[in-house]
Amino acid sequence: MEVWSLILNILLWFGLYVIVSLSLNVEYGYCGIPNFGKALSVIIGAVVVGGIVTRILMAIMGVQGDLVSGSSVVSGKINAVVQSDPVYGIALFVLCLVLAVIIGTIVGALFILPSARLREDYLAITLLAIAETFTMVCYYNPVIVGSYYGVSVPDVFAFVPSSMRYPFIVGVVLSLALLVYILLNRIVNTPYGRLLKAVRENEDVMKAYGRNVMTVRIKTMALGSGIASIAGVLLTFYTLRVQPDSFLNYGRTFWTFFPFLIILLGGAGNNRGVVLGSFIFATLWELVDFYKSNIVSALHLPVEAVWLEYILFGVLMLLILFYKPEGLIKEKPIMTEPIKRKAKKLKS
Amino acid sequence: MSVVEGALIYSNLLTLLALGLTLTYMTTAVPNFAQGSFAVFGSYVALTLWKIWGIHPYQSLPIAFVLGGLLGAGTYLIVLKPLIKRGANVVTLMIATLALDLILLGFRGIYAGILGSIIRQPCEMFMFTYLVKYVFGVPDILLVSFSVIVLTLVGLFLLLYKTKFGIALRASVENPMLSEIMGVDVEKTRLFSWFLSGALASMAGVLLPFKQEIVPATAELIIVSIFAASIVGGLSSIVGAILGGYIVGTSESLVTYILSVLTNNAGLLVYGKVVSLVIIVITLLVAPSGLAGINWRKVIRWRSGR
Repeated sequence: MEVWSLILNILLWFGLYVIVSLSLNVEYGYCGIPNFGKALSVIIGAVVVGGIVTRILMAIMGVQGDLVSGSSVVSGKINAVVQSDPVYGIALFVLCLVLAVIIGTIVGALFILPSARLREDYLAITLLAIAETFTMVCYYNPVIVGSYYGVSVPDVFAFVPSSMRYPFIVGVVLSLALLVYILLNRIVNTPYGRLLKAVRENEDVMKAYGRNVMTVRIKTMALGSGIASIAGVLLTFYTLRVQPDSFLNYGRTFWTFFPFLIILLGGAGNNRGVVLGSFIFATLWELVDFYKSNIVSALHLPVEAVWLEYILFGVLMLLILFYKPEGLIKEKPIMTEPIKRKAKKLKS
Repeated sequence: MSVVEGALIYSNLLTLLALGLTLTYMTTAVPNFAQGSFAVFGSYVALTLWKIWGIHPYQSLPIAFVLGGLLGAGTYLIVLKPLIKRGANVVTLMIATLALDLILLGFRGIYAGILGSIIRQPCEMFMFTYLVKYVFGVPDILLVSFSVIVLTLVGLFLLLYKTKFGIALRASVENPMLSEIMGVDVEKTRLFSWFLSGALASMAGVLLPFKQEIVPATAELIIVSIFAASIVGGLSSIVGAILGGYIVGTSESLVTYILSVLTNNAGLLVYGKVVSLVIIVITLLVAPSGLAGINWRKVIRWRSGR
């Protein structure tokens, strides 16, 4: 039984990290934007559910009061409705996804505007600063998602019997991850995808070819943020709460640093590598989590395992940068039809 | 502590941090995302010395200077130098400092737990405000922070402009390759800048708990203000970092204070980082190379309409 829940945990985090890391891979691996504010788009997904959809539901159901208390009342009511008719639950879920993707896309495009024409170091600093500031505002301002108290979210999968709920959510996460994988693989294998790599390799040459690097970056960030906000929605419906203090304490580590770790582990600029990286990371993380009480008691120290995990994964990142910066699966040259023909000709 | 005094103390500390960030950016061209952790490292040095040996935080400044310097130098030697040798690009180096920040966060968490079990009180959050004494109606932390910054600036000036090593350092910033040909050990100047950066950040960290509470998220929040100060200054100018530190430090406290008085809403006081972010965005849109990059003669000519 324990092993079964371990497997489910691994699959859940694998799916979530596939979504976020693939979107970061389009931004960083393909287009070369060091998006150190990746966490923002995941948080946007959670805020859309907790701050916007919950408010709409409160208005529809006629629940009075502020967001913190009103959200738990409305969640109870919606749960009862969803239990009787799954259609409402699925419709609500789809609505949340669509809304989050739209808002995530807009936020992503706005997010990079101040620094879109600048060098990589400025880009990274500004993106990180915006994400951290937004996180902090969410934490302090009770109007957005309830500040310290957080917001309850209706269970859109309430129609699933409670014993099957976790496997069901894992299934939903994995199928959306597959969808994202297929979609992004399609996108990066178009002329647009090749343009991204060209911008990454040499901005000036692309400018000389008449491409507007700023527009390419804005479009890419819009795409990446829109997709990553899906993960925020999924995470919210898994935990059924939106907690801004967890954004503050874990946001940057879990949704910026770890996706970068996954990409560098698997191999930047190729989607198969990122999927492999996500799987290895999720497995490692869950195994450490599974054995953490043994590890901590073996050390004889008053230590929480999460700190050890931070050190472990920070060191892992440095080791990758030192010894295997290209990742486990190396980026392959792009083989378009004309290039394939040319290669054949050269061979014969 | 009045609002203006608080703003000045904060500006002094921010200037120390921005100076350190700018120094390392000038020599190694990588923005150090672990600068906030360097500062909180100093806070924990001070807390340890105070709680276990009863050494007053002001007296622990020299110790924090040395230990912080060692942390900075160690960062360069262990993490950055090998990467630079392998020809890593700036993004790789930035990711490495981000990884270091996470490692330091982990060690900090463990250390806070161990220290807490030794002194039998929680150490995840702490403040030194109860240690502030008033000298002629002025909080002594204001005087101490001013003395630290004056000493730092005088020392830095003497070092950069009056010693051979300073000339070598400035030359290696201007043109690393040429100065290497002239026999300057660029490695040494880089190592020194990292030592100084860590040392200054650590001293700022010792004094920070006199102004605000140290919480687990302090390091990652203060980095926004540090970057704002450095970016306003142009990211690679020492004078710019000093100006930026004071501009960002005072506006963070004063703008939020004035807004909170005007709107009669004390809740606005916590949004200092939003001011920093606005300053970053305005700087990048109007003058991306910061105060140091503006051609002031041109501006004056344009203002006077000639």
